[in-house]
Amino acid sequence: MDWQAFALSLRLATVTTAILLAISVPLSSLIVLGRGRWLAAVEALATLPMVLPPTVLGFFLLVLLGPRTAFGRGIAALLGHPLAFSFDGLVVGSVIYSLPFAVQPLVAGFASVDAALVDAARLLGAGPVRLVSSILIPLARRSLLAAVVLSFLHTIGEFGVVLMLGGDIPGATRTLSIVLYDQVENFDYASAGHTALLLLGLSALALAAIYATSQKRGRARSA
Amino acid sequence: MSKQFLAALSAFLFVAPLGAQAPLRVAAAADLEPVLPPILVQFEKNTGIHAEATYQASATLTMQIENGAPFDVFLSADLSFPKRLIDAGLADAAGSSDSSTPITYAKGTLVLWERKDSQLPSPSLDLLRSPALKRLAIANPDRAPYGRAALAALQSLKLYDTLKPRLVTAENIAQAAQFVDSANADAGLISLTSALTPRLSADGSYFVIPRDLYPPIEQGAVVVSNTKQRDAAHKLLDFLLSPVIQTQLAKSGLTPVK
Repeated sequence: MDWQAFALSLRLATVTTAILLAISVPLSSLIVLGRGRWLAAVEALATLPMVLPPTVLGFFLLVLLGPRTAFGRGIAALLGHPLAFSFDGLVVGSVIYSLPFAVQPLVAGFASVDAALVDAARLLGAGPVRLVSSILIPLARRSLLAAVVLSFLHTIGEFGVVLMLGGDIPGATRTLSIVLYDQVENFDYASAGHTALLLLGLSALALAAIYATSQKRGRARSA
Repeated sequence: MSKQFLAALSAFLFVAPLGAQAPLRVAAAADLEPVLPPILVQFEKNTGIHAEATYQASATLTMQIENGAPFDVFLSADLSFPKRLIDAGLADAAGSSDSSTPITYAKGTLVLWERKDSQLPSPSLDLLRSPALKRLAIANPDRAPYGRAALAALQSLKLYDTLKPRLVTAENIAQAAQFVDSANADAGLISLTSALTPRLSADGSYFVIPRDLYPPIEQGAVVVSNTKQRDAAHKLLDFLLSPVIQTQLAKSGLTPVK
């Protein structure tokens, strides 16, 4: 078991999930509460990363973030190092790659909140921030939880983007899914089995724990 | 929905297209992707046998054949993967002098490739020694034959320890080339077949790594044992070894064996 890669995957998934929450809560609120046809375009755009094969998405990012574009040069100047083949680069790639998995559950959850409640809060003078923090988020708690869980797990299991953008550098970009893939490709099926089993076991435990607590809360509320 | 539409839809979804004759399925190493397609066209012209190739890393193809992938011929980028299949009784080189050794159909050439607009010195062994070389792309040495050769060459040059922290590992030789072509890596050790593709020869220049620095990259072919088209498979292998095709291989960056 490659614990360095395991730790790296956990760190990548945690950082990515935090950034995704910070982006997708305001974005999903805007999509649900806002008016105008352009919001449909925003929602479409936020879902689009699902369409591209991950390695192709990784390739586009490699080119976009590389020294051949002004954008890539700007970021390299800001950070002091190029984004490709670094942990920061993987974070950028993961945020884009997992964006639909954070935005979709949130939009669905926010949209299912009773419109009458939202209108009432508006009439009582609640601004958009208050509306989101006191009405949408508490009433769509399970969707928020789903967004967090899906973003986190999708990043843990992310492969194509990391393969393309990472360059397989131990401690920096060699994540657990890369290690697992290497073990399979190198015909080391025993190690691959162990790694996969541990990953599946830990994820199943974590998921069960999360869903158990949220269900208890759900029952307590309805009782 | 009308009944006719439903019938048409289910025909489209569930009825397999009828082909006149199943094609000869070729599992080909990724470095053959720029080389093989015109050869297969010529093969069909000469023999009337239609062959279709799937390009993948040799390791992946080996794993697929081990698990019953319906290939007839395997053209690897090295000898170890086809040998592995022979040892498992899944492939053979029947018809050649020694049926337990893969048929070597070409040899690969390792080159150091760099973009023309790079600020660093032009590709040479000195470029590998230059401290300005920050990122050197190689293919995965655990399984990509060119990656293995790259590692051996760096070790022969006693540069491996110096360059180790600056290596970026790509999944295969094509991806190593992409790392350099997108300017994210300064240079890469890739195959001559890649360096000679129109795209890469327009973007960059290469230096042939001296052949005494790495063990030869012998590319081996085998016939998958449970093929139903053994005759066609042997015809393709004979065709690959014919003088005309061997000359053609040389032009696309492989060293002929005949």
